[in-house]
Amino acid sequence: MSGPTVSQPLLEAHSLTKHYGQTIALHDVDMHVREGITGLLGPNGAGKSTAMKLFLGLLQPTAGSATVLGEKPYENIAIRMRLGYMPEHDCLPDFMTASEFLSHMAQVSGIPAKHARTRAADMLRHVGLDEERYRHIKEYSTGMKQRVKLAQALVHDPVMVLLDEPTAGLDPGGREEMLQLVRRTGKDFGINIMLSSHLMGDVETTCDRIIVIEGGAIIEEGAVSEFTQETETFYIDVDDRREEVIAALEARGIKTRISGGSVVVRLHRDEQLDDIRDALAEVQARLRRLAPSRGELSDIFRRSTG
Amino acid sequence: MSQAQGEIYDLGYQHYDGPRGGRMQAVRSLWVNSFRTTVGLGRGARAKILPVLMSLVVIAPPAVFLVLAAVVGSGKLSHADFYEATSILLLLFAAIIAPELLIPDRRNGVTTLYLVRPLTAFDYVAARWSAFLTVALLVTLFGQVLVLIGNSLAAEQAREFLQENWIDIPRFILAGVIITAFVTTIPMAVAAFTERRAYAAAFVIAVFVITTPMSGLLTTEWCERSVTFAVESGEIVEEAGPEECRRITGDYAKWFVLLDVGRAPTHISDMVFEDDTPDDASILVAELPPAVPIAWYGLLVIGPGALLLWRYWSMKI
Repeated sequence: MSGPTVSQPLLEAHSLTKHYGQTIALHDVDMHVREGITGLLGPNGAGKSTAMKLFLGLLQPTAGSATVLGEKPYENIAIRMRLGYMPEHDCLPDFMTASEFLSHMAQVSGIPAKHARTRAADMLRHVGLDEERYRHIKEYSTGMKQRVKLAQALVHDPVMVLLDEPTAGLDPGGREEMLQLVRRTGKDFGINIMLSSHLMGDVETTCDRIIVIEGGAIIEEGAVSEFTQETETFYIDVDDRREEVIAALEARGIKTRISGGSVVVRLHRDEQLDDIRDALAEVQARLRRLAPSRGELSDIFRRSTG
Repeated sequence: MSQAQGEIYDLGYQHYDGPRGGRMQAVRSLWVNSFRTTVGLGRGARAKILPVLMSLVVIAPPAVFLVLAAVVGSGKLSHADFYEATSILLLLFAAIIAPELLIPDRRNGVTTLYLVRPLTAFDYVAARWSAFLTVALLVTLFGQVLVLIGNSLAAEQAREFLQENWIDIPRFILAGVIITAFVTTIPMAVAAFTERRAYAAAFVIAVFVITTPMSGLLTTEWCERSVTFAVESGEIVEEAGPEECRRITGDYAKWFVLLDVGRAPTHISDMVFEDDTPDDASILVAELPPAVPIAWYGLLVIGPGALLLWRYWSMKI
C-alpha cells in the first residue's frame, strides 16, 4: 500500500450518500481531507459519525464513493491497520487495566506481543496516564477514560486517526486538556486527525481546516483562518436607546442580534460602517463602544446553518 | 571519587516501524485473550472458580477410576459413558462461561474497537468460538485420556489392551469435537442476542432442563399388567394377566426422543463408539435412519452458528 502524497487527499468522498431506510444520513457529499488536523463540525445528527464510519469501512455507501489513502475502505483490512478510531460512546472494558487493554489492542492491530507492551506503555505516558496504567479502568474518571480511548486509537501508530466527539462528557478543564492532547498528537506526533464535534470551540482551537456539515450535506469547508477572516462582526454598545438603534440599523438593511448587552452586527461592505454612524446619529444615541470582533466559528456556523 | 552523571531525555513520540502481523496476528491475539478469559487467567480469583470447579468435576470420575484401577487392577469405564455423563456438565459450564466472551464486549462497546481493526466479524466470532471450544475439548480429552489409562491399568496386559483398543483414541477425539462444538455453539448464539449474562445462561439451562423431561414423558415406556378376579370356592382370587407396555406417542416415540436437545451430540457419540450398551433413548434413536440424528445434530449446531455469525455480521456499530 503506497502512502499518500501531498497532492493525494488522505480521505476523499465523491457524491457520498448513505441512507438508513427512509432516513438520509449523508447526501451527495464531496469531501477532501488532507494532512493536518481537520474538524468536522455540525450539530448532533448532522451525519458526522456516519461519515466517519464510512471512512472506517464499517458501513457501505448507498451511493457515491469514499476512499482512504487512495483505497476503498469498506471491509478493507489493510486500511484498518493504518487508521485509528476513537468512538464517541463508551468502549472500554472496565475489568482490565489500561496497560493490559492497550497492549491487547496493539496486538489486535497486528503488532507482536513484545512490541505491543512497549507501545502501550509509551502511549499511556503520552496521554498522561503513566502512573495509573496498572489500575483497573473502572476506577478511572471520565477524563482518564477519554485519554485511554485516545491512546487505544494511537497505539498502533496509525497514519490517520478519527476522533468522534473526543470532549464528550468532559468538564471545561478536562475538555481543554483533551484538546491540548489532540493538538499535540497532530502537531508533535505528526499524526493526521479528523475530529468531529458539535462544539465550535473544539474545532476552532484545534484544527487547521474545518468542514461544516448539516443535515447530511457539506455546507462550507476551508482553513480556520479563512473562516475567521471572512467574518466582519462588530459590537455596538450604547448608553441608551438601544431598541431605537436596532430599528434604525434594521431599516438600513443591517441585521442585528443582542449578545451580552451589546448589539452585534455583521457587515458585508465597508460602506455599512457609514450606515452605523448614520443610524446612531439619527436616533441620537450615545455611543460607548464600536469594536470589531475577532471572527468566531460560532458566527460562521450560525450563518451557514441558518 | 568520581560521581556518576546522567541525563534524562524525553524522546517524545516514537513512530512504530517494527513488524506488523496483520490479520492472522489479530485473530491469534484475540484467540489468546478469549482462552485466558475462559479459564479466568489475568482476572480475579472469582473468575477462576467456575473453570477450575468444572474441570475438577469433569475430571474427578475418571481420575478416581484410574486410581481404583491402579490399586485394585480391575474395572472398566466406557468412553461413550464418560461423554454421556460429562456432556451435561460441559453444557452447564458453557452456558455460564461462554456468554462472558461476547456480552461484556457488546455491553462495554469494545466490539466497535475490534471491528475497526484488521478483523472481520467472522474473525471475531471464530476466534471467540474456537478458543472456548479448545478449553472444553482439552478438559474432555484429558478426562478421556484418564479413562484410557485406567482401562489399560485394569486390564491384565496394558500393552495388549492398548493395541486392541487404539481405535478408541481417534473415536474419543472425534466424539469430543462433536460434543464440544455443540456445547460451545448454542450458548454463544444465545449470548449474541442478550445483554445480560445471567439471561443467556438461564435460557440455555432452561432449554435443556425443559426438553429432557418433556422428551422422557413422551418416549418412556409405561407397562401395566391386567388383573382379573375370580371367585373360587367362595374366595376372590386375583390373577395377573400379561404385562402390556406402550409409549404414549406409540411408534412416533423414536422421533420424539430427539426433542431431548441435550442428548443430540451423545446420539452421534454413541454411533462413533458403536456403543453396545445403549439406554432406552439410544435404542429408540437407533430405530431411525442414521442420517436423521446426524442431520438433527447438524441443524442444532449449524443453525445457531449461522445466527451467531449473522448477528455480528449485521451489527450496527
